[in-house]
Amino acid sequence: MLGKLKKFRAWLFSGKSEKASHLLILPASFWLAFFLVIPIVLLLILSLAQRGPYGTIIWHHPTLDNFRRVFTPLYIPIVARTLLYCGTAAVICLLLGYPTAYFLSFYAGEWRDTFLILLMIPFWTSALVSIYSWIIILGRGGLMNSVLTGTGLLRTPLDVLNTPFSVILGLVYFYLPFMILPLYSSLEKIPKQYMEASYDLGAGALQTFLKVTLPLSLPGVFAGFILTFVPCLGDFLTAEFLGGPRTYLIGNLIENQFLMAQDWPFGAALTAVLLCAMLVGLYYYQKLEAAETAA
Amino acid sequence: MPGMTRRDFLKIAVLAGTAPSLLAACAGSDDKHEVNFFNWSTYIAKDTLPRFSLETGIVVNYSVFSDEEEMFAKLRSGALGYDLIVATDYMIPRLKALNLIDPYPAGALKNTGNIDAKFRNTPYDPDNAYTVPYLWGTTGIGFNKKHISKRPASWWDLWDPKYKGKISMLDNARDCVGIALLMKGYPQTAESDAAFKAVEDLLISQKPLLKQYSSATYVDSLINGEVYLAMAWSGDVIQAARENPELDYVIPKEGSYIWVDNMCLVKGSRHRADTLRLVDYLIEGKVAAEIANFVRYGSPNAAAKPYLDKILLDDPRVFPPPEVLKRLQFYAILPPDLAQTWIDTWSDVKAA
Repeated sequence: MLGKLKKFRAWLFSGKSEKASHLLILPASFWLAFFLVIPIVLLLILSLAQRGPYGTIIWHHPTLDNFRRVFTPLYIPIVARTLLYCGTAAVICLLLGYPTAYFLSFYAGEWRDTFLILLMIPFWTSALVSIYSWIIILGRGGLMNSVLTGTGLLRTPLDVLNTPFSVILGLVYFYLPFMILPLYSSLEKIPKQYMEASYDLGAGALQTFLKVTLPLSLPGVFAGFILTFVPCLGDFLTAEFLGGPRTYLIGNLIENQFLMAQDWPFGAALTAVLLCAMLVGLYYYQKLEAAETAA
Repeated sequence: MPGMTRRDFLKIAVLAGTAPSLLAACAGSDDKHEVNFFNWSTYIAKDTLPRFSLETGIVVNYSVFSDEEEMFAKLRSGALGYDLIVATDYMIPRLKALNLIDPYPAGALKNTGNIDAKFRNTPYDPDNAYTVPYLWGTTGIGFNKKHISKRPASWWDLWDPKYKGKISMLDNARDCVGIALLMKGYPQTAESDAAFKAVEDLLISQKPLLKQYSSATYVDSLINGEVYLAMAWSGDVIQAARENPELDYVIPKEGSYIWVDNMCLVKGSRHRADTLRLVDYLIEGKVAAEIANFVRYGSPNAAAKPYLDKILLDDPRVFPPPEVLKRLQFYAILPPDLAQTWIDTWSDVKAA
């Protein structure tokens, strides 16, 4: 009995049998099928349905009307605003994240693991709690304004809550770790000898960075940008709570179709288009990365 | 539940008030005596539910919403196990049409006689089958006297460029579209495209002046000076004014709406007997009065009247005098298509 089990284990993990590898990916495949593939198929079917009275769903007259509605001029400003906010947030993440990742890879020394854990701590609190904390910090009578007016730096408090500023700040806060981690892992991989060689050959610190470190870390830059920019596109909580009447993003538009407007089919069509756009983006990113590694 | 002391009940009740999600998480089994109650935020007296739990041993898992459409969406998606909800009059036909609420079993409540006849046999529930009125109030303008020298008197004050960035509007179609129709001189039941175009333009023209659309946090914003003026629900402002006397509430001269919130039984709820007991408790004269005294909304409960604070009874903002009442109308019951047009108009305003 035990011998059989041992044999089975050896077969399963040998990496030689095709059947064994199929068996091994079965659990993950089920997971993907139930929580990714089936929901997306349902979403696509829903996007072809129509809305009935009181937000009921009419299935038996499939139509592309919802998709036509997605591309009406009414929503262009929302798309433009979303791209602008998410792009800005991703760039700020990069500007803040690169030095942080650089420090972690080359200077943090024995403190590195501690810093990495500290970086993950915000993920342990609920997003809502973080958002309410930001409301308290940024509010008119909040921490930031009390400090600024208390120290005499400002006479009247700043109204930063419910502005594009507070929304982008919230996005940067939530997605910064997604920038730092891939940057860190690509900087980490650069052999120290490369930089030493560069110095030996007479390059200064700046030249070494621009000609050696930065180019070698570009895959991390791209990965970080995608990992911050793409999830930003679907974010609605940040704009909902930190934003104002004119910081409405695609995520809010979709949320409102499901909650307020009771138009699930249109919400599904919006989601499908957003997903497609993200997939196209990811496809090109992967092609770019493949070219990078081949070169 | 044998072996449980009154003290333990008190603990449970307090827990029910502070950690509803925790208890809701273990709401699976059904031999327990409990009620899952979904109500508007800031809409009950502090000790109402703990006292009910103490008296009956029934645990109330209390959760709140600030956006009725969101409540509706949650209810519609099912599976959350709510037993009792509070819904505004205009919402009742929709809840009924989608089969989301059950009628009260005949004779199940002892205290329905307490309800004022004015709030019975209403257009939205002619046979009193589906609703038991909970509280009523009005939509008006809340403001902070510290920041505003002149009392607002008109809805147009919410469009005054003088207050740019210091104005808040309720975040729902019913109030915003309803008031905009009123301002443009259309009846509540207007159906013409012109009417809705006018409403949409009016609301969009206000957006550059707005700080926020908010139904939940606007009172805090009024208190801390984040906004000076807010489209508001009467009791929200009046209850906050107890501790922040600089807050005040006014019903604008163009008129406004009266709405009635109702307790409804969620379809297929698993704790029917306990739920009915809770509803019966909440419409006892004394209990209804305590709630009204605390939240500063009007009580539709005739038996509550002797227990109401004099200050509440004398407050024209809570019980408007006849000349103000003339300017107030009840929400009309709109046909489904028209109700949808309201929501779509509002949706476009928010997206603009």
